[in-house]
Amino acid sequence: MEARRVRKGASERLGAVDGDLVVEHNGRVDVDGRLVVSGELRCEGTAEFSGAVECRSLRLEDGPTTVRGDLLVRDRVEGHDSSLEVTGALSAGTVDVDRRLRISGAAKAEGFEVGGSLEGGSTMTADRVAVGGRLVLAGKLVARNVEAGGAADLAEVELDKLEVGGLASVRGGAVRSSIEVGGRFRSTAPLVFGSLEVGGLASVAAGSKGGDVEVGGKFSADGDIIFGKLEVGGLGSIAGNGTGQRVEVGGKLDVQGSLKIDGPTEVGGSIVVGGSFDGADLEVGGRLEARRAVLTGKAEVGGRVATREGLKAGELRLGRKAEATGPLVGRDVRIGVKAKVEDVFGQRVELDDLAEARRVVGEHVRLGDGTTVDSVVYSGTLELGRNARSRTAPQKVETLPAFPI
Amino acid sequence: MNGTPSRNGATGRRRELTDLYATVLEVVKRYHGAARVTRVSYGAGMPVDRLRAFLERLLALGLLRTEEVDGRPVYDITPRGQEFLDTYWKMRAYVEILGPTERAGRGRP
Repeated sequence: MEARRVRKGASERLGAVDGDLVVEHNGRVDVDGRLVVSGELRCEGTAEFSGAVECRSLRLEDGPTTVRGDLLVRDRVEGHDSSLEVTGALSAGTVDVDRRLRISGAAKAEGFEVGGSLEGGSTMTADRVAVGGRLVLAGKLVARNVEAGGAADLAEVELDKLEVGGLASVRGGAVRSSIEVGGRFRSTAPLVFGSLEVGGLASVAAGSKGGDVEVGGKFSADGDIIFGKLEVGGLGSIAGNGTGQRVEVGGKLDVQGSLKIDGPTEVGGSIVVGGSFDGADLEVGGRLEARRAVLTGKAEVGGRVATREGLKAGELRLGRKAEATGPLVGRDVRIGVKAKVEDVFGQRVELDDLAEARRVVGEHVRLGDGTTVDSVVYSGTLELGRNARSRTAPQKVETLPAFPI
Repeated sequence: MNGTPSRNGATGRRRELTDLYATVLEVVKRYHGAARVTRVSYGAGMPVDRLRAFLERLLALGLLRTEEVDGRPVYDITPRGQEFLDTYWKMRAYVEILGPTERAGRGRP
């Protein structure tokens, strides 16, 4: 059967077409109720439909097509050098358009593939959404895999996987498997995620919860967050409480609430925790600040420790020339050369050469050469290096006083 | 190469050549080895003739590879290209982190 044609520049009123329909360049279909094409609808150049359209398949070539109503395509939409605008809802098997796809209503297809940009004014449901450039959606997106080369500006999401080259923003939801973004990622509402990997900057809303987080530059959470491993190249900030399994931050980590980490915490620069910090092992190149910090394993701080209630660790090491305010408590405490600390408590306390302390309380205490302390209380042994000096006479006791934390 | 910088809509920052190379690489990456010139052109928002020059440069640097499929070239990102993207985005983030402090301190950290 020969295809019905709407000639170049012509306008025709149509309701039903048995077989195929070809709309030539600048053709316009004045839809009578609903245009139902039993075969293929092909638009050769610019085409316009004044109402709802239904067809088996839709082929677009060399131009923009506008459907002023709903579009239902039972099989596939395929566009070459063309764009498609649907002012109503779109339902299709698959959609593959080179340039731009714009849908005002709800959109549903097995797959959407768009070379340039995809803009949706409502919800979208698909198995796969792949956009070369920019993806913008005002409604909820439910899909398995979503990819955008340039940017994705999304509302609530329910996805398995999200991959964006440049910038991505979502209004919360869930990404069950992974989020991978090259440049910047932002979630303005609580997000549940499997893993989050961002090359540049990432921020998530308070109440977000997920697995491993890996951010090249800066990561921030607007409030409480639960994560697996938090790995940040530059700066990390949590404006609430942080709970996770492991932390690795190259620069600075700032937590306004409390921080609870099951595994190791490694920070190249400084870690500042407004509340209490509970962890396993800790390694800080620069500064540690917290109301109190309790580590079940080893704590090593290179620069400065500032706590109100104290720093406690199984094994506690302060670096050369380190400084500490607030009590230091450990089973095994070693204060580096020329370090200056306040009160130190431990089963075994060692001050390296030229270190200074206010009060030292320990079962076994060793004061290195040239060390200065205000007082020493010990219950086992005391070793004094050359020129080690206590401003008050060392006091040996049967039982040590209670440690502060 | 004609590499006139343009504005980045998201940040208002001038798009430098490196930004454009990164954009092209990110778009190519999304096609998983089947990126055609026209599709990349729409994705990157760049005319085909200008894009071809970028693709050639990226191929020459080993950041992209190409092969013929059905008589037409398709492009894919190489591990070096991915390395470039990782470094680019990380560096962009650091520039942004350091930027305000630098301005506030008149060049002093």
